[in-house]
Amino acid sequence: MKWRNPKTLATLLLATTLLIGGCSGNNNKPENTGNTGNTGTNSGNEEAADTSPVTFTFFGADASPNWNNMQDDVGKYITEKTGVTIEAEYDVGAGGGENKLALMAASGDVPDFIFAKGSLSSLVDAGLIIDLAPLIEEHAPNIKKIFSENMNRLKYSNEDQAIYQIVTNGGVDQQYFDAGGGFEIQQRVLKELGYPEVRTVEDFENVLREYVKLHPETDGQPTIPLTLNADDWRIMISVTNPAFLATGAPDDGEYYVNPETYEAMLHYKRPEEKEYFRWLNKMYNEGLLDKDTFVQKDDQYKAKIASGRVLGLIDQEWGYQDAENALKTAGKDEYTYAHFPVTLTEEYQDKSFQPAGVDGYGIAITTEAKDPVRLIKFLDWLASDEGQVLRNWGIEGKHYTVDANGQRVIPAEIQDRKVNDASNFQKETGIGQYRIFSAHYGDGVKDSTGNYYTTNFPEQIVAGYTEAEKETLAAYNATTWKDLFPSEADLPAKDWGALYNMPVPTDGDYQVTFQKTQDIIRKRIPEAVLTKPENFDKVYDDFLAELDKAGAKEMEAEYTELVKARVALFTGKEVK
Amino acid sequence: METLPTKASDHESVAPTPQKKRERGVWKTLVQQKYLYLMSLPFIIWLFVFNYLPVWGWTMAFQNYKPAKSFGEQKWVGLENFIDLFQDERFYLVLRNTLAMSVMGIIAGFVVPIAFAIFLNELRGKFFKRTVQTVSYLPHFVSWVVVGGIVTKMLSIEGGIVNELLLWLGVINEPIQFMAKGEWFWGIVTGADVWKETGWNAIIYLAAIAGIDKEMYEAARVDGAGRFRQMWSITLPSIRTTISVLLIMSIGHLIGIGFEKQFQLQNSLVTDYSEVLDLYALNYGIGISRFSYGTAISIFTSVISIFLLLTANGVMKKLTKESIM
Repeated sequence: MKWRNPKTLATLLLATTLLIGGCSGNNNKPENTGNTGNTGTNSGNEEAADTSPVTFTFFGADASPNWNNMQDDVGKYITEKTGVTIEAEYDVGAGGGENKLALMAASGDVPDFIFAKGSLSSLVDAGLIIDLAPLIEEHAPNIKKIFSENMNRLKYSNEDQAIYQIVTNGGVDQQYFDAGGGFEIQQRVLKELGYPEVRTVEDFENVLREYVKLHPETDGQPTIPLTLNADDWRIMISVTNPAFLATGAPDDGEYYVNPETYEAMLHYKRPEEKEYFRWLNKMYNEGLLDKDTFVQKDDQYKAKIASGRVLGLIDQEWGYQDAENALKTAGKDEYTYAHFPVTLTEEYQDKSFQPAGVDGYGIAITTEAKDPVRLIKFLDWLASDEGQVLRNWGIEGKHYTVDANGQRVIPAEIQDRKVNDASNFQKETGIGQYRIFSAHYGDGVKDSTGNYYTTNFPEQIVAGYTEAEKETLAAYNATTWKDLFPSEADLPAKDWGALYNMPVPTDGDYQVTFQKTQDIIRKRIPEAVLTKPENFDKVYDDFLAELDKAGAKEMEAEYTELVKARVALFTGKEVK
Repeated sequence: METLPTKASDHESVAPTPQKKRERGVWKTLVQQKYLYLMSLPFIIWLFVFNYLPVWGWTMAFQNYKPAKSFGEQKWVGLENFIDLFQDERFYLVLRNTLAMSVMGIIAGFVVPIAFAIFLNELRGKFFKRTVQTVSYLPHFVSWVVVGGIVTKMLSIEGGIVNELLLWLGVINEPIQFMAKGEWFWGIVTGADVWKETGWNAIIYLAAIAGIDKEMYEAARVDGAGRFRQMWSITLPSIRTTISVLLIMSIGHLIGIGFEKQFQLQNSLVTDYSEVLDLYALNYGIGISRFSYGTAISIFTSVISIFLLLTANGVMKKLTKESIM
């Protein structure tokens, strides 16, 4: 009796360990990843859509605070129609997902599908992403239709012409009706100063200086003339990218590409940009640039904007949207921001709207996906007219109605909530929440019923503005912010697409050098801005020398080759 | 990983010993205590599977590892990764930061909690004592993400409590941008760490103090010892064993201090002081898919850690006759 218990216990323990050992043994075996597209052939003939409940896991590299686990109206409808539930995880904080995705690439532990942004190539190199080309060919007529002649642009590279992602962060055939970038100034500032012309950084600076002199305090707290967001990768959006935008160059990530020779160089090396940073330096030394700029975190930045005491920003609207929404919810419309295509001097032209063609971040399916065919069919359903309208407009009868002329109309009270209570509205309805999940047409494209696919068309955009915004726009003789910017019609599409999306070699020295230059940039640019004006030249020149010392020249040469190969892939041009 | 079966079978076959008699003795005890052995077996296997098998992954450091390929297809590069590592100036910078912050952390992390525990122990009111103790260890459960936010806010030049206080006291004339001063970063990290962990670390000392024989204090009092004398001559020597065991263990962790605190508190102005080894391994290792390089860094940390642990243990053994091995 005495021995009975320990014996059973010991046997039990042993059995457990064997079990655990057995399991881990199985897990360790790398799954054979051959079942990419071929599985499709068997299930291709069963045409009736499968709507049995299924759950797909997902990771999104951008933070998505309004994600409601598909318990929103659109989400429920999607599940009802397709049987699919998306179990999503998003990156937190400033987002970007690099760390999380690097771990995924290392461990092979990936969800069924991924919005990987710039980290896609590390997953591809780890053999974790499947080629979508055969799946699209067989099961995704809608996706095929959307990309049609642009299918070439989905291909990964010249050497590896597989399709690893469906571009979803940008709409196809997108026409821009509204501008969300440039330099921003609060409506109240413009109103009080009588809507002055804001064309150059000098104008911008004068407006801020004048207003802060008149109102050194906002709601009892000190007014901040200008603040920027330098938390982690946001430094690129708010501090370094504006340097090329304000000096007439388009967005090619960290590089500037010469449109004639396709030579690439780190954009910081352009002499014009040095002048831009000199201007920031001056702003700082005059006390116009917030002293917290390079110290504050993303949430502190947004909190400041939400308090209404920041007069000017240099950022993209999506970067401070949450804070602006808070202002709108609080009824402080006059604290929201107007957008201007400000450049260093009048000789430059803002190239924010230079089209890159179809190219961008997108959705990728991993080797872990249990049923890639079902998944691609789901993505294809989302890309259908029904799916696109659902994702953009919501549910008929609830979020929009169709009038006697067959036009989709958003009822006034819905539109009001959409503008003034945006976060809660998105959380409840799910409208806008499913944009990145599948391919879609851009703004300005009409469906078979003659309606626009998206809710962003000129009339709707104007309806989306607050009264304060409309007032400002009227004062500048414009209907949308876009009207103030140089139009894409005057700017030729870039042959090399969106370079931030071009896969770069993960082997060899390129990545290391790039990382090193990034470290230098993120350290030296703040230093240059914060230094005394008489030191600026020295700090900036040392910075450029340091880049070359870290191997920037060789890196640029390697990048130039990649750009040329890409131009050849996209356009079929012969590039030497 | 594929070698799991072979390794396991190696483990089971016990090499025969030449001395027959001894073997019989060993065998006899083995049979006698078979249930004890059986019961410990799961834990040995557990230890082996989770702590020794992963060491196999160290082979990556000598390859140019690509996740998609099988072991046989990997390219062997010898010591290239280590050479790269030791030739990178940045590596020495992050090593300096790591060591500086962990040494400061160990000093503060021992002195403050021990002093705190001893003084707390002297308090009479039981309710007050309990409350202080509970309140003091609560920050331990707050994540570094939140602490990072609190610290940045407290040190901010705009309404940050530290600057307000210093201004009010007249120590400074205008607010100081604490978070922008690289050379202060180590101190800020250590301070934040003390704030977060003092209460928690004191618990073990309080427990050790509670175990001290009360008669010793009575005897000391009879001999005329005051309170400070009692602390110095009875409390401290009585918890010396606890202190030295914990010290040896934390010296073993000297180089692997993690990176949460630094990651949460850093900004682009202070990276020269804030980047630690683990963060470097993340940025220059797996962050850019250089898995082999990351592994080389981790081998370096492990080897140094073992070396430090053994040295600390040896020194302690010599000095105080206390050790953990």
